[in-house]
Amino acid sequence: MDMINAFVRRPAAASVLSLIGVLAFYVIFGGVDLGRLAGAASWLNFAANLGIVALPVGLLMIAGEIDISIGAMIPAGSMTTAILSGYFGLPIWVGMAGALALGIVVGLVNGLLAVRTSVPSLIITLGTLVGMQGVVLSASVLLTGNTSVEVTAPDWAKFAFGHLIAGSHQVIIVWWLLLTALFAFVVHQTRYGNWIFAMGGDKVSARNAGIPTQSLTIVLFVLSATCAAFVGMCQAIQFNSAQVSGGMGYIFNAIVSIVVGGVLLKGGFGSVFGIFFGSLTFAVVSQGIYFTSIDRNWSNLIIGIMLLIAVAMNETFRRMAIAYVPRKRTAV
Amino acid sequence: MGKAMTASAGISSGIGRVARRPEVGSLIGLIVTYVFFAVLGGQVFLGAPGWSSWLNAAAEVGIIALPVGLLMIAGELDISVGAVLPASSLTVAIISGRYGLPIALGIAAALCVGLAVGFINGLLVSRTRIPSLIITIGTMFGVMGLTLGFTILIAGSTGVFIVPDPMAKSLLGAALGGMYQVGIFWWTGFGIVTYFLLHVSPWGNWIFALGGDRESARNAGIPTQRLTIQLYMLSGFAAAFVGVIQVVTFGSAQVAAGSSFIFNSIMCVVIGGVLLTGGAGSVIGIVLGTMTFAVVNQGIFFSGLDPNFGSIIIGALLLAAVLSNDTFRAMALSYAAKKK
Repeated sequence: MDMINAFVRRPAAASVLSLIGVLAFYVIFGGVDLGRLAGAASWLNFAANLGIVALPVGLLMIAGEIDISIGAMIPAGSMTTAILSGYFGLPIWVGMAGALALGIVVGLVNGLLAVRTSVPSLIITLGTLVGMQGVVLSASVLLTGNTSVEVTAPDWAKFAFGHLIAGSHQVIIVWWLLLTALFAFVVHQTRYGNWIFAMGGDKVSARNAGIPTQSLTIVLFVLSATCAAFVGMCQAIQFNSAQVSGGMGYIFNAIVSIVVGGVLLKGGFGSVFGIFFGSLTFAVVSQGIYFTSIDRNWSNLIIGIMLLIAVAMNETFRRMAIAYVPRKRTAV
Repeated sequence: MGKAMTASAGISSGIGRVARRPEVGSLIGLIVTYVFFAVLGGQVFLGAPGWSSWLNAAAEVGIIALPVGLLMIAGELDISVGAVLPASSLTVAIISGRYGLPIALGIAAALCVGLAVGFINGLLVSRTRIPSLIITIGTMFGVMGLTLGFTILIAGSTGVFIVPDPMAKSLLGAALGGMYQVGIFWWTGFGIVTYFLLHVSPWGNWIFALGGDRESARNAGIPTQRLTIQLYMLSGFAAAFVGVIQVVTFGSAQVAAGSSFIFNSIMCVVIGGVLLTGGAGSVIGIVLGTMTFAVVNQGIFFSGLDPNFGSIIIGALLLAAVLSNDTFRAMALSYAAKKK
């Protein structure tokens, strides 16, 4: 009983329960073969692409901010790689560095605007989202005369960022696991993680306590834009081409993954493992449905219902966590 | 104290009062963008083709932007409009197109769909402490899934056709002079009603109070729960109405339509000087913001510029708008009436 209580007070509880619930639903009503689902690559590939973006955006949400410009940064990252290394024929590392540098620049713009003004970050990043979409489209059309650009990566880059393990699993899954471990270490083991939670809990108190809230916010925005550009870069290397469209779906998918993962939009509460399981759950719902006898058109409905159930659970669990008082030792 | 000094003080306080109004920034934005595109687009943009094209675009997004703006003044968001719009189009197309029932029935059902989704949104937002962004993302996914699932189940494809009767066509889908769609008049109507609701009726004060401080508003006796539900029903209704207009105009409904309205409506509202944090904004500002958005979006096609520059301009405009709103609001808040 104590163990269950301790489990539900953790931020990741709702996402683990959601994952189990979705799997149970698919097994009971969809007749899914769990062995076949576990061996399939489609949902893991989907989860890895989504998860790498969801991690830093989730940290931003723990800190009380949000970043929707990722929707433009994914195609921006892949187009930068493809234009520099494919169209202009520069070495692949130039294209990769260019993509990541673009992520850093856009993240800096987001972060600076977020700390210097009182405008909500949703609106700021909506502005950079639309602006970057235009920049990517215009740059692509002006420079190459096309909205889709080919790129061929040399073997080492292909191996590190774009090859298929066992012919089906994208190597980006490994990056996702590595980044999750790295984020989990920084957020839950170092003081920087505590700073993020403190900032999301109460920004003014956090600053008064000596936490450099401004530079921390900027770093988080840089992280999310750069991770999105990284996913785009991997996609360009993987598929040997880049398109200007795509990426918009990631905005809401990432937010849903994060919230299902137990992060509060109001900030101050969440965990890296929760975000990890949230992305996994989202991927199982949207890709796992192909393995069921359920018509795949209902997957969005399941995602919507799951989101609302998960936030309701999160609210309850959080209240339990806050109200929790360790039981007193029985007095003699 | 000389008379001249009082007069000059009167003028400067008059200018100050104007600059502190929430819609000034959006008016300046509209004039600047209109002149910019008028210079580039020339006679064609200044004439009927230009006016009809941006007014038509403004009307579609404007009908949704008005209630979304009211919600944002009240401190809430509505993402689900992007799913309600195709849900409503398909309701009309399935009931009146596929089953051949009277179009009035289809339209009534579609508007009820919008009201129902709005009711659910409002109920969830007012009864729980979950942010409205999350709740309406949830209902958006839910409604999208229901629309797709039922459309495939009933019609077997993702698009449904309908031939609207002449009466409905002339009321909702006609184009005056072959250019100006009737949606523009509906938008004007919605604008007048919303203006009355927000700025004339006491209901509007409640909205501002709700956005300013929810707790105090409730303590002051404002029925905040009911008000929130009403506001969401209004935005659901408006989104459904645009869905009806679209299906009657184009004679077909698509499952994938509508998602562009989510961010477009928010951008119109923000360019129009409404703060996302709630408590400030005006209907005139929202209308001006919508016009600015439409002028950029459509004007780009008349300007000879690469159409993709349009979104750069809108992004820049959005940031300029929020930054100037920020400044104006700081001015308004720090303003203390000059002592006599």
